Amino acid sequence: MKAPWLRGFTLFYLLFLYSPILLLPIFAFNDSKVVSFPLSGFTTNWFVEMWADKNLRIAAKNSLIIALSVATLSTILGIFAARASVRYRFPGKAPLMGLIMLPLVLPEMIVAMSLLVVLLSIGVPLSLLTVIMGQVLICTPFAVAILTSAFQSLDRSLEEAALDLGETQWSTFRLIILPLVMPGILASFLICFTISFDEFIIANFLGSGRPILSVYIFGQFRFPSKVPSMLALGTVLVCFSIILLGFAEYMRRRGIAKAGGKDAGGFL
Amino acid sequence: MTYSDDRATMIEFKDVHKYYGDYHALRGINGTIKAGEFFSLLGPSGCGKTTLLRTIAGFEDISSGVIMIDGKDMAGVAANARPTNMVFQSYAIFPHMSVAENVGFGLRKDPRSKEEKARAVAEALEMVGLKGYGNRAAHALSGGQRQRVALARALILKPKVLLLDEPLSALDKKMREHMQVELIKLQRQVGITFILVTHDQEEALVMSDRIAVMFEGEIAQLADPETLYRRPATKKVADFIGTMNFVPATILSETGNAVEVDAKGLGRVMLDIDQAPAKAGESPVVGLRPETLTLLYDDQKAPERETDGVIDEVIYFGDMTYYDVYLGGTDVEVRLSMRNVPGRPVLDVGEKVRVAWSPSALVLFR
Repeated sequence: MKAPWLRGFTLFYLLFLYSPILLLPIFAFNDSKVVSFPLSGFTTNWFVEMWADKNLRIAAKNSLIIALSVATLSTILGIFAARASVRYRFPGKAPLMGLIMLPLVLPEMIVAMSLLVVLLSIGVPLSLLTVIMGQVLICTPFAVAILTSAFQSLDRSLEEAALDLGETQWSTFRLIILPLVMPGILASFLICFTISFDEFIIANFLGSGRPILSVYIFGQFRFPSKVPSMLALGTVLVCFSIILLGFAEYMRRRGIAKAGGKDAGGFL
Repeated sequence: MTYSDDRATMIEFKDVHKYYGDYHALRGINGTIKAGEFFSLLGPSGCGKTTLLRTIAGFEDISSGVIMIDGKDMAGVAANARPTNMVFQSYAIFPHMSVAENVGFGLRKDPRSKEEKARAVAEALEMVGLKGYGNRAAHALSGGQRQRVALARALILKPKVLLLDEPLSALDKKMREHMQVELIKLQRQVGITFILVTHDQEEALVMSDRIAVMFEGEIAQLADPETLYRRPATKKVADFIGTMNFVPATILSETGNAVEVDAKGLGRVMLDIDQAPAKAGESPVVGLRPETLTLLYDDQKAPERETDGVIDEVIYFGDMTYYDVYLGGTDVEVRLSMRNVPGRPVLDVGEKVRVAWSPSALVLFR
């Protein structure tokens, strides 16, 4: 490296970014209700307390339901939109794709509020379903972006070859296209899952006070006594994320090796 | 050429047009392709040859006209229901499958037993020289091997017509020449009609029974390689196939079976009517191939006609030497080629030479 300060800057940058996360497990195992140094001893009580919290379990379950639904729906919609945008020409394609991608740059607060107004005025009761609908709106652009690149790297001749060899449009999609874009589908699913899982604004506005993990954590921080068990929860979530990402990366590499492509970096 | 004209018709084009929006890609294609023929569509990029191939395969609809394959109108028949199979330019080998899975892909709906299918795959692989490669991963193959897999995958279905979209263009020169011979042998072995798209005139001449030369969405000439080379129908065809010298000429007189012209630097010459294809509205020129011209040495006498010349350029190729020669004290320059046989010296620039030529080797474009 030519400039030694660049190395220093990089180190500082990474430390600044990740050291707060390292504090999570440290205080989660710290035997004190006050989050401060010096540490006062090792305990797993906060994990026990976290597990005993019935509301938290409900919130976690709700969040899982929402995140799984959002990831599935967004990815399916993303497959359709990405396929259409890569493969077909039709009138109004550019503005249509633009509208699909718009929530990416639209302030989420505005989206959440306008959705709330619309839903209330047409009399739709707020529930987990409304949260899912709102978050699909936010997540679909991410799915489309990821899947578009997956579909773009697909040689069109592969499809024609399958048709030429007697397959129908549908069996071609199932036998050739789907397996080859599977890494993209998986990446899209995981990204949408992650975005949905820690999404706050829409969960808060359209959830109507139902326990959802992000909203619940925010609420618990008002009580100082709850903070250590929230740190324990944070630790669990960080581990969960690392496992998820590791799995996604493993699948991605396997997909590339199977297709004989060159590895061009991770999807994140 | 082993080609004979009494074979049955396999494909027939009747006034085929294709528009992409305003772009007129195919402008009235007519012609027939015979059963068992090695047929080439030759032309520069953008001439419509690939479009025409894709309309045969059923990947492109035609805007008007009729395409018949084996006596059946192909209008409304989808690609997966046509008796054609294609070898793609990119080979389109399915990367997530093994070689055997690729080759056997088209047999998925075949009612035969698993063992019989496996035997068919093994036979197809053996036919293209890939015996024992079945279990390899498709993406681990070299370019030449991919091409063979693509061939086996298409031929295993025993199509009536095999379509080849520039199949050799991705290979290096040695491999390409090798595969040309292999393809010819394979075609004779299986007896299926092959239709090859290529922009390489040499490849087309080497491999084909007949060639359709295409420019700007039209077939300029459809003929066997020898006719195409010796009697090109237009100046453009002549220019595209091999090297052709063009000498300005004046038409002196024309009768029912002969044309008399005065070619600059060559003098007056009587041409048979079949050396003068139909008028195309160009100013008349006479075409001569380099190898029909010969430099005369010492007292050698020309068998037919001869003209004086001065060497302007010498290009040494090892087995051949190319000379650019000014004809008969004019500014008309022709290129001629001489084999470097023992005892024949390579001449220098500026030397005065005598050039022998034959009236029967001339073609008139007008």
